[in-house]
Amino acid sequence: MAHADMDTQRLDLPEPMPQPRFQAGFITPYAFIFPALLVMLGGLLYPVFMAMYLSLYDWQIGLDLEDAPFVGLTNFSRMLTDPQVWEVLWVTMRFGFWTITIEMTLGVALALLLEKPIRGASVFRTIFILPLMVSPVVVGLIWRYLFDARVGWINYYLGAWFGIEPQIWLGDAQLAFFAIVFTDIWQWTPFIFIIVIAGLQALPSEVVEASTIDGANWWQQVFLVKLPMIKSILVIALLMRLIDVFRGMEVMLIMTGGGPGRSTELLSLHIYNRAFETQQLGYASAISVLLIVIVFAISTLILTMANPMKSRSDV
Amino acid sequence: MTGLFKKGVGALAALTMSTTLAFANPYEKYEGTTIVVSWPALSHFIKAEELIEEFTEETGIEVEVDALQYLKLRDRQLLEMSKDEGEYDVVSWVVMWKGEYVSKGLLTPLSQFYTNGSLVDPNYDINDIADAYLQNGGIVGGHKGYMPGKSGAMYGVPFGAETSILAYRKDIFEEQGLEVPETYDELRDVMAKLHAAGIPALTSRGKTGHQVTAGWLLHLAPLGGKIFDDNWNPVINSPEAVEAAQVMREVVKTGPAGIPTFGFGEAAAAFLQGEAAMHLDTLKIAAMSRDPKLSKIDGKVGYALHPVGSRCGSETGGFAAGIPANSQNKEAAFLFLQYITSKAGDQRMVELGGDPVRISTLQNNTEGFDEYPVVAEQLPCADPDWRPLIPEWNELNIDVLGQALTQVITTDDPIQPIMDAANEKARAIMEREGYYVWQ
Repeated sequence: MAHADMDTQRLDLPEPMPQPRFQAGFITPYAFIFPALLVMLGGLLYPVFMAMYLSLYDWQIGLDLEDAPFVGLTNFSRMLTDPQVWEVLWVTMRFGFWTITIEMTLGVALALLLEKPIRGASVFRTIFILPLMVSPVVVGLIWRYLFDARVGWINYYLGAWFGIEPQIWLGDAQLAFFAIVFTDIWQWTPFIFIIVIAGLQALPSEVVEASTIDGANWWQQVFLVKLPMIKSILVIALLMRLIDVFRGMEVMLIMTGGGPGRSTELLSLHIYNRAFETQQLGYASAISVLLIVIVFAISTLILTMANPMKSRSDV
Repeated sequence: MTGLFKKGVGALAALTMSTTLAFANPYEKYEGTTIVVSWPALSHFIKAEELIEEFTEETGIEVEVDALQYLKLRDRQLLEMSKDEGEYDVVSWVVMWKGEYVSKGLLTPLSQFYTNGSLVDPNYDINDIADAYLQNGGIVGGHKGYMPGKSGAMYGVPFGAETSILAYRKDIFEEQGLEVPETYDELRDVMAKLHAAGIPALTSRGKTGHQVTAGWLLHLAPLGGKIFDDNWNPVINSPEAVEAAQVMREVVKTGPAGIPTFGFGEAAAAFLQGEAAMHLDTLKIAAMSRDPKLSKIDGKVGYALHPVGSRCGSETGGFAAGIPANSQNKEAAFLFLQYITSKAGDQRMVELGGDPVRISTLQNNTEGFDEYPVVAEQLPCADPDWRPLIPEWNELNIDVLGQALTQVITTDDPIQPIMDAANEKARAIMEREGYYVWQ
């Protein structure tokens, strides 16, 4: 009976109001996302699609795009059989390997050394991040003159201190490659350092203390506790440097112009030269598409192998 | 009555004067017009700004100058000249760009102004402008497309043009008991002797790309070489071309350290700072050597003709100026061009520290300009065809020769195979661009 009353009461309830299709708060997140989406579409996707579109034309600066002949995939077939493209891709990969390996090692090592509060640590940290504040063009100019064969300080001090004969640093293929690797390490190691030290200082102290109580020595703490715990940060740093290697060209343009020969011509500089030196905008766009594909593939691979978001949720 | 007569005479005189003035001032129609000039922010053009002020004062035509770094100039000019109505009324181009500008329909042929009696100054005397400069910078559509000929037309006048001469250190030559070289054999001999004495001999451009090619081209023409034969077959592996490459290698070995990294600025600086005994390139080195901000060798420099190989042949380069097809003030722009390249304008440019383009100006200004008699003697030998001014030249210059010649000067590899390979690459480019469809 009681049940019947309850049922009756329930039945007597007024019909629930139909839910509005769009609740008041439903639109809010999309409204916040919209400006960013617009920027993404305008600033990222549009140039990418434009590059793909231009890569199908033989377009030169000064001609209307409407007048440029459609060449289909000719630019892509030319690119794949062009030994210059493979040569600069190889230079880019060698450059990336040496710079990123050394920058990651040095950046992490410096961060581990300076993570503890020691006397003068803040001064060291400020000095270490100074190169990051210098624009790439200025970096190129500074090091171009430091490496100069006639008036450069490097030759001067190598001669004065070690009696080494002056070297034509930027006029020899191997020395020039070394010079641009050295310069990149000088400029970008602080970037790794600053990211890693922030990660190390954010680690929960209990975990490190627990490992000390368990008898872990310094090396074990570094390799078995600290670095695994900041893996996501290391992956992000690696990814950003990798993208920079494929993207950056200013320093090489100023220091060597890609020479001697193509010994320091990275893929991005090659694209610049094709577009603005030889005026082949369509062909340059095709190589840009290759660059996008390579960066996308490498980024996907790294994020799949060591997804920083996944490791963060694991923690 | 007398007063009336006087008034009448006065009125008549005033009428006559005003009529005479109206006829005597060809600029009156354009007074108040503003023209925009696009040219490089280089020494010659910066010095010309005073001449522009004088032009405005005399003509009433206002001039706005858009001076850009010369490497950015072409992109900007192409962009402006591609619009329906561009901003520029006068553009100054590096001679290498003239073919591209004309083939894209961006320039106005100057003949339409030379047929207009109200615009042309009868005292202009175009024949006084050095032939090589005019052909190299202003004529398009004749032989090979970029040389004079029956199908050619004039699109620009030289302004800031140049040729090459030899600059040498008089003090070093005197100390070493050396004669100034007149031939390439003598030049190579002097280079070897200076090197043996521990003195860097000849500075040169040598940076990968167009710089090293420019260095080599300076030797190619006098040694009798060319880039193409008359059928557009590349001949950069000819004995003359290989010999020019051999000279480049010797220049690097006997010259100041770092030539493979030198652009024009670095090559000139090596000479001006006293680190090389010779400079064989543009005549602009003379003005630079007199500038105390740039030079430590003022007063020690002598000038001589570009050494001769199998023929005489110095470079022709620099700038010419013309009128864009989309200019809105073409006639005022022509008057401006005529003014700055007239006899008086050319003379004024010398006084302001610029480079003259007229033979008479060179001959009339020997005082204080040691190089002028040499330049006047050099110009008949200047070769407007020392490099091909075709759209494909950029790619050949940078990608093919610029790479091959770097290998020549930075290694000891045999030169002939390097130039053979470059020749094949050049042929492939010309084939791709359709140059052999008639063969």
